Amino acid sequence: MHETEIHDLSDDADYAASQQQGSASIMRSDSGRQSSSSEPDGAEVVYSKDNVTIHPTQFASERISGRLKLVKQGSSLFMTWIPYKGQSSNARLSEKDRNLYTIRAVPFTEVRSVRRHTPAFGWQYIIVVLSSGLAFPPLYFYNGGVKEFLATIKQHVFLVRSAEDANVFLINDFENPLQRTLSSLELPRAVSVGSGHSTSISVGESPLVETHERSNRNFCDGRLSVSEYSGRPRQKSQDPARDLSIHVLEKFSLVTKFARETTSQIFGEAHTNGFGAIEKRRYNQSSIDQPQKVSNSVEKVPDETPIASDPLEKISCMKHNLGEEAATDVGNFELINCEEFDKLALVWGQPRQPPLGTEEWVTFLDSEGRITDSKALRKRIFYGGVEHILRKEVWAFLLGYHAYDSTYAEREYFRSLKKSEYETIKNQWQSISPEQAKRFTKFRERKGLIDKDVVRTDRSLSFYDGDDNPNVNLLRDILLTYSFYNFDLGYCQGMSDLLSPILFVMGDESESFWCFVSLMERLGPNFNRDQNGMHTQLFAISKLVELLDIPLHNYFKQHDCLNYFFCFRWVLIQFKREFEYEKTMHLWEVFWTHYLSEHLHLYVCVAILKRCRNKIIGEQMDFDTLLKFINELSGHIELDAVLRDAEALCICAGENGAACIPPGTPPSLPIDNGLWYPQQDDVL
Amino acid sequence: MDLNLFFVAGVGKSCLLLQFTDKRFQPVHDLTIGVEFGARMITIDNKPIKLQIWDTAGQESFRSITRSYYRGAAGALLHSSSRRETFNHLASWLEDARQHANANMTIMLIGNKCDLAHRRAVSTEEGEQFAKEHGLIFMEASAKTAQNVEEAFIKTAGTIYKKIQDGVFDVSNESYGIKVGYGGIPGPSGGRDGTSSQAGGCCS
Repeated sequence: MHETEIHDLSDDADYAASQQQGSASIMRSDSGRQSSSSEPDGAEVVYSKDNVTIHPTQFASERISGRLKLVKQGSSLFMTWIPYKGQSSNARLSEKDRNLYTIRAVPFTEVRSVRRHTPAFGWQYIIVVLSSGLAFPPLYFYNGGVKEFLATIKQHVFLVRSAEDANVFLINDFENPLQRTLSSLELPRAVSVGSGHSTSISVGESPLVETHERSNRNFCDGRLSVSEYSGRPRQKSQDPARDLSIHVLEKFSLVTKFARETTSQIFGEAHTNGFGAIEKRRYNQSSIDQPQKVSNSVEKVPDETPIASDPLEKISCMKHNLGEEAATDVGNFELINCEEFDKLALVWGQPRQPPLGTEEWVTFLDSEGRITDSKALRKRIFYGGVEHILRKEVWAFLLGYHAYDSTYAEREYFRSLKKSEYETIKNQWQSISPEQAKRFTKFRERKGLIDKDVVRTDRSLSFYDGDDNPNVNLLRDILLTYSFYNFDLGYCQGMSDLLSPILFVMGDESESFWCFVSLMERLGPNFNRDQNGMHTQLFAISKLVELLDIPLHNYFKQHDCLNYFFCFRWVLIQFKREFEYEKTMHLWEVFWTHYLSEHLHLYVCVAILKRCRNKIIGEQMDFDTLLKFINELSGHIELDAVLRDAEALCICAGENGAACIPPGTPPSLPIDNGLWYPQQDDVL
Repeated sequence: MDLNLFFVAGVGKSCLLLQFTDKRFQPVHDLTIGVEFGARMITIDNKPIKLQIWDTAGQESFRSITRSYYRGAAGALLHSSSRRETFNHLASWLEDARQHANANMTIMLIGNKCDLAHRRAVSTEEGEQFAKEHGLIFMEASAKTAQNVEEAFIKTAGTIYKKIQDGVFDVSNESYGIKVGYGGIPGPSGGRDGTSSQAGGCCS
């Protein structure tokens, strides 16, 4: 990876590049902010402190010292902590360790809070928690300077002391959203455990219970593998992709390590005052905050956590403890928190929002009906979808049928044009006489296939059920017309699944057709006869899993599963068969925003696999079993959770993730027209 | 013991499978995307056998994907309607299966009994003839009335079972689509315990 740096941002020519490679890939950040920080010109160091140290293991003797700085650039304030080069307290700490722990220009817009710890013995330290829920490991100020650090921050950004805990400083806390953050993020541990917030300690509350229930329901345990933090993969490969994955995992492991430390604090508190009354905190800190003591109390934990243990066993253990005995059993309590933090490692996508409603929708439109800020709209939909009543209008934009900057009048005109164009194409097959059809095998075959398939598409929905349902006929007409519009691609099974929700939403035949055409512009290669579009996507999934979950990748490799055919249905019809109808529509509109990536669906695949990976590996599933298992996940996947995971994975993977996906991979527009092949029709 | 069977190509497989696994007829069934599964325990020779049936997508476009599933199959079921086009398609599928599946795979051709006699383009005799030429077992069955459905699956499984006992398959090699479970390998000397098999099926 990148070299360790100890100099200022301003004189480091490689800074921008390393930033791309490092923190930028794993931390949530707006590209705008990121680019400003990668231009070191004009950066001003407003605070600098030497001998600020982290303790990467339980032993304070193993430490990495560096320089903590606050850098002001324009109106933004950044925090950096760069370890000293070639100066280590312990030979076991490699150069890589130093790189991994390096904090590279974190903008304070992304910092949620800073918690100050002032133990009676030992050094003061702080824990910086990001708004994503990710926390950096404790930074120990060997030479003091915490107060100065906080004072400097206060000069440049809005910083307030938490009303609930005098040692917690909230950044950009304009409406005291701490509580909201804690509850809505469902990952309160990093923030609240770190801040010693009392609510976090009542572990019997809903978030954990929900975790448990969800785990049982979905037979995915929703965890990142234990091995990712206790195993600490440390491949020495120089492959940048591999390094990134280690980097990401290591960063996760930092959270876990952090969790262990804070856990022991909670435990101490729970022990003395039963679930953490704030008034007692000072007392507890004095007994716990010393690093040596903390580490002693948790030393055995990683070893006690079995790598391939039965998830259910752990869950039941967790449940058991949640009930009554959380505070009485050190080992199990630790286990709970490992479990919990495992989950945390994956769940730092933003909380899902309610769908976009009518009132909000009109705010995106100007007086003539143009969407002024399409990116903001797409972002909004990415995080919440749209209310059903708006879908008819909004999908046309998302699918690219209407241009965002078109006016009401332009769209009206466009619709009428397209309607007559549709009628013209439709007429091409409608005008085929029975006599002509006798001599037109290809037409007969296609029509036969479509006839057979439309009566097997979503017939359980009232919209399509019953005999002689006109909507089934519309499905057929649109598909047949499409097979004339794109005669080379023709008709292929799966298309009716893609069209069904579109017709359901749009209602109008011509509108549905053109929206379907737009969708097929992107997904058409899924249906190429040689399946190249599918193969490209399955290949991309394999590369992404390799990047984001090496143990799972290795497992698939060993078991000859790298073709990822078990994801076939997911990809071909965009999870249509995996979720209820309404959820599918929601998922699709999220995909169509192309907000974080055009290929979010591939990250969704990875997210689901990751959630199931312990089960897959634990049960040593072979290809057949896996295929069956994946099929049977249908109806049991929790959409919101998976979307958040996918978002997090997408951000984690960053550029390296994008590099896993070959150019022209659906739904990217084909790089040339060569991706369309004439299709041979099939007979069944 | 587990036996993997394969169902390949065409409309009606899913209905036939559902009749076998759930004993019900559901005329409306979403078309198969990729591959779906059905499983049922049967008994042959007093031995419990889990039949695992893989129901594959019909359209030939998917063949490059579906053929990868053949590899773990001990048997295949071809479901063919009496439509001429479907029937003609059988040879092409067979060729593919023979190429990508193991050579000892047992293949049964199931003709669709449901088709009304006057609408049949392919006669029972023609089906029998085709099966004979290609070394297939032949039977006509109806998903609607359940006639012969049970028999077709069990006969296929029975044929595989006999091959196992004759030592045709190396049952320790799971790529034959046979997984021997709890207790003993039913080899030539006679197995003690359950066998399950996967079968795939084809063509309506």
